[in-house]
Amino acid sequence: MTEKEIDCEQALKQILEYVDHELEDGNQAAMEHHLHTCQSCFSRMEFERRLKDKVGALREEKVSSNVTNRIKGLLDSF
Amino acid sequence: MGLSKEAFENQVMDLLGRLHGVARRLTGNEADAEDLVAETVTKAWRCLNTLASEDAFKAWIFRILNNTFISDLRRASARPRLESIESEDESEDEAMFSIFEQMHQPFLLWFSTPEQEFVDKLLREDLDKALGSLPDHYRVVVILSDLEEFSYSEIAETLAIPVGTVRSRLARARSALQKVLWAQAQEYGLKGSPKQGCHGSTTDAP
Ligand SMILES: [Zn+2]
Repeated sequence: MTEKEIDCEQALKQILEYVDHELEDGNQAAMEHHLHTCQSCFSRMEFERRLKDKVGALREEKVSSNVTNRIKGLLDSF
Repeated sequence: MGLSKEAFENQVMDLLGRLHGVARRLTGNEADAEDLVAETVTKAWRCLNTLASEDAFKAWIFRILNNTFISDLRRASARPRLESIESEDESEDEAMFSIFEQMHQPFLLWFSTPEQEFVDKLLREDLDKALGSLPDHYRVVVILSDLEEFSYSEIAETLAIPVGTVRSRLARARSALQKVLWAQAQEYGLKGSPKQGCHGSTTDAP
């Protein structure tokens, strides 16, 4: 097996990219392997992921009818 | 790009909630947010020829939104935040801050995770306030990544910065956000569920 092994230092450097789903396949696999075997990095990853989700929940999609009407009117004027 | 008016309208209306949400967080108030969205849609329509393909619509229109926000700031030059939006964060060597490192207690690992509790207990309004307090160039990457779920390359395209800068700026922005959240928590006296000093007071250097 040619799977890349990474240590905690390398894992920590990539944790945000992992949480953001930005790691490429090889790095992703190495990271997952490390997270399965290292409780400390796993906890760190879990923390960053929960925080990201919590921040993400601030997203608001609701728009008042005022805004919708204003933009619709604007589009009609083009 | 030959996008029909109807297709343009559909794209705009589909993205309106998200455009408005981002505008609201960038400007910090409803009136400016509405104006920013209207100005963005107008500009987008006028420069439709700069849209490379329909797939690129989202990043393209958010880029116009961001650029419009920046140029509006420039016009209203009284705004003190002007500096921060374009500041070279690469030159800032502020130490990275991590709530995890402040709170995680390896010896309690199996039955207590104070840092996870900290996150679970965070109130929406506190997060909101913390995000709102970040400098513009940090706030925008967090909004695009965490709220709008843009990929790094979409953020890079939207902000016209290299992907590597997105990566480092996000790391700094999240560190800054955690610093604010930590300060807020200390202000409330909610710092940690475990006894303080039980496992090292993290504020003291050795
Ligand atoms: Zn590790």
